[in-house]
Amino acid sequence: MSAATGEHDWTMIIDLDRCTGCQACVVACHAENNIATVGEEEVIRGHAMHWIHIERYWEGEYPHVRARFLPVLCQQCERAPCEPVCPVFATYHSVDEHLNIQVYNRCIGTRYCANNCPYIARVFNWFNPYVPEPLNEQLNPDVTVRSRGIMEKCTFCVQRIRRVEETAAAEDRPIHEGEVQPACAQSCPTQAILFGDRLDTESRVANLTGSRRAFRLLEELGTEPAVIYLKGGETYVE
Amino acid sequence: MSSESAAQNPSLVWPEEEDHSEHLLLDPRPVEEMHGILLDAMQRTGRGFWILVSFLGSLVLIGLVGAWGFQIRWGMGVAGIRRPVFWGLYITNFVFWIGISHSGTFISAILRIFKAEFRRPITRASELMTTFSLLVAGMYPLIHLGRTWRFYWMVPYPNQRQLWPNFHSPLMWDMLAIFTYLIGSTLYLFLPLIPDLAMARDHTKGWRQKLYRIFSLGWRGTEAEWHHLKLAITIFAFAIVPVMFSVHTIVSWDFGMTMKVGWSSSIFGPYFVTGAIFSGVSAVITVLLLVRKSMKLDYFLRAEHFDSLGKLILVFSFAWTYFFFADYLTEWYGGEAVGQQLLTLQARGPVAPLWYLMLVCNIAIPWLTLWNRRVRRSTVGLFVVTLGVNVGMYIERYIIVTGFLTRNRLPFDWGVYNPTIVEVLISIGSLSAFILFYALASRIIPLVPVWEVREGQISHTLRRIGRAMVPSVADLD
Amino acid sequence: MSDTKVIMALFKDPDAVANSLDKLRAEGISDHDMVVISGVPYPAQVLGRPMVWEKLPWISLTGAAIGFMTGIFLNAGTPLLYPIHVGGQALIPIPPTAVLTYELTMMGLIISTFLGVLWESAFPSFGPKYYDPALTHGRIGILFQCPTQNEDELQEMLKAQGAERVYHPERRPL
Repeated sequence: MSAATGEHDWTMIIDLDRCTGCQACVVACHAENNIATVGEEEVIRGHAMHWIHIERYWEGEYPHVRARFLPVLCQQCERAPCEPVCPVFATYHSVDEHLNIQVYNRCIGTRYCANNCPYIARVFNWFNPYVPEPLNEQLNPDVTVRSRGIMEKCTFCVQRIRRVEETAAAEDRPIHEGEVQPACAQSCPTQAILFGDRLDTESRVANLTGSRRAFRLLEELGTEPAVIYLKGGETYVE
Repeated sequence: MSSESAAQNPSLVWPEEEDHSEHLLLDPRPVEEMHGILLDAMQRTGRGFWILVSFLGSLVLIGLVGAWGFQIRWGMGVAGIRRPVFWGLYITNFVFWIGISHSGTFISAILRIFKAEFRRPITRASELMTTFSLLVAGMYPLIHLGRTWRFYWMVPYPNQRQLWPNFHSPLMWDMLAIFTYLIGSTLYLFLPLIPDLAMARDHTKGWRQKLYRIFSLGWRGTEAEWHHLKLAITIFAFAIVPVMFSVHTIVSWDFGMTMKVGWSSSIFGPYFVTGAIFSGVSAVITVLLLVRKSMKLDYFLRAEHFDSLGKLILVFSFAWTYFFFADYLTEWYGGEAVGQQLLTLQARGPVAPLWYLMLVCNIAIPWLTLWNRRVRRSTVGLFVVTLGVNVGMYIERYIIVTGFLTRNRLPFDWGVYNPTIVEVLISIGSLSAFILFYALASRIIPLVPVWEVREGQISHTLRRIGRAMVPSVADLD
Repeated sequence: MSDTKVIMALFKDPDAVANSLDKLRAEGISDHDMVVISGVPYPAQVLGRPMVWEKLPWISLTGAAIGFMTGIFLNAGTPLLYPIHVGGQALIPIPPTAVLTYELTMMGLIISTFLGVLWESAFPSFGPKYYDPALTHGRIGILFQCPTQNEDELQEMLKAQGAERVYHPERRPL
């Protein structure tokens, strides 16, 4: 558990009981964050660029098989293994907001961070992004379009966090519960993804963090992720 | 009494009179002749040499200009690396060439410190390998970078971005260590070369003389010059040995500092250093055999030298096996489930054929052959064994880098890796660049430190002890 | 200084050189006015010559100290100029500091040793100097300065000691 310090402690709750593996979050994430789509051939070559993977695990032997879904994105670790290995500080820790920041402009593409991420949550720009007309009209002006040769990853939609923070500061008020919504949480039809500030003790994420179902991915590594999963018992798709 | 029993008992054999002239240091020739052998070898550039140079030159152009340029233009996607194998053949090559670079320093500095006399004629040729293999190795992090053109962002200097590099990162340690080693080994190559360059200056004509004149810095060979030089060489020898150990240790820490199962191992430092010396000294033998054959240096490079080097290879094969086994056993006995999968990957997975080939090349062949004096003294035998060791060591790095990355804690993140033609062409290009540099340098730089050989010949004499003439060494230092 | 001459004597045998040096000294030529030049290093005790005082180790140590301080600055200084936190590690991490400071110390040591040799031997210097290419062909030369009136006598003495050639060398650019 990270100490309750700083201005915010942005936390994501993913309820595995609610996840149906529909991939709406993946699409929303692509749209919001200007993530390049690479086409079928490059996906086969292992160059897909999703910031969220819906990891699908099969249980049982055919024909009695069941699928389980595990959405994995950057876990925004408090003790992130990806950060110290970067020689140029392209990824670092925001101590105030407990976010794992990726600075595209600084990245030179050593891909060391990607190797050291136990969740393999980081994504590399293998080529320049291909944005055919009229898809360029869809690009989000709040987010950089990354060039070839640099690393990227889930930012918890930091552009949305900033916008809300600035609005709240301008109106001289605290940020309301649920005001910050990353694209994935916003688009999830079953509301499996919740997002909020754990420092706000009244918030739903703060309450669910203590749930008996709560666990963190590869918790034993001591990376202290800010993504908390709620165990699923019932989510089987036959 | 003893002679009687020898006559009666056929199993007693008289020791043969040893032929000491097979030792270079006991077989001095006139100075003019020794210089002649070397200078002739340097100036002999036949048609075969130029054909080799143009062939290697075209491979360098294809690999390092064509293929690398293509990759810079389009992006890293043209290489075979993919999620989750973010490091591929380039890092494998990097580790391999850093390993080769341990040859020169080990032979030259460590053997100099321990006064191993067989080193004398072979130091220069192996130091030259260190410098060139470091240059080739140093190219790989650049080739590997996603944005090669921004490589200087890793260099610590006050800049307009107001940002210093991150010294937490093993890559920074790596860069500075390699830089230190490159500077150190180049200067260490150059210092003992000065008297030989002065020799070449005095006995060549034309552009060569001009070149040697500049690089011999005005050397005359006065007492003070020799004194300073020898002191500096001693300081360098002691300084560069720990740097050499640190370089490959830090290369291993690029892997050891991660959270990857199979990589995160505290034994990686000594394991990699041993492997590096193993492969480096093997490469020295391979190259020296070729140099002796092509440059007719049989006078300087003799069976006794290869014999001694062959013994070193055997010792390092034992040492490498020890570390390899220690690493393997730890994973086998109690490792995580992913660690067990790595062992399965090696024993039965896609890299299994390579893994078994590695065991054959690095363990079986050296152990079965190098104990034999005749193998250690045979050109063909030793060539095959040492080339095999480097094949084995390349495979070792390939499996550690690319193989281990294909297995991760979450089974969803398992993957495969196959190099593409771009990676293969760049690898061939860099190998060609190494051979090309070496071939060109062998025609410019005196490959044998004649003054060190002569110094050794002065201090070696035959001395009678009892009935035998025994080689003895005067300690002139 | 018009009444002194520079003489070069070439020998094959180090014993003859040592003996000649003794005789020259007996004739009143000081060790400062004599230089032995050879293609192979002969230790001072072999030739019976005084040792040269070495500054080189001090130059090397100074370089190492500069390298050490550079290492400390890079590790402990630069994070303070622009503090960036990574991976829950300390801003000034001690173990990586040890690694880098070590490397930079060695770099300082190596570079300063090299520069020290150049400095001590006054390299590069291509200006005219007394030299003979036969020296790289296995001869040992004694180069010395003597009063003109002693010249013939000394030449005879050196030849008697086994000098192959005794002559007035010319300054030649190297």
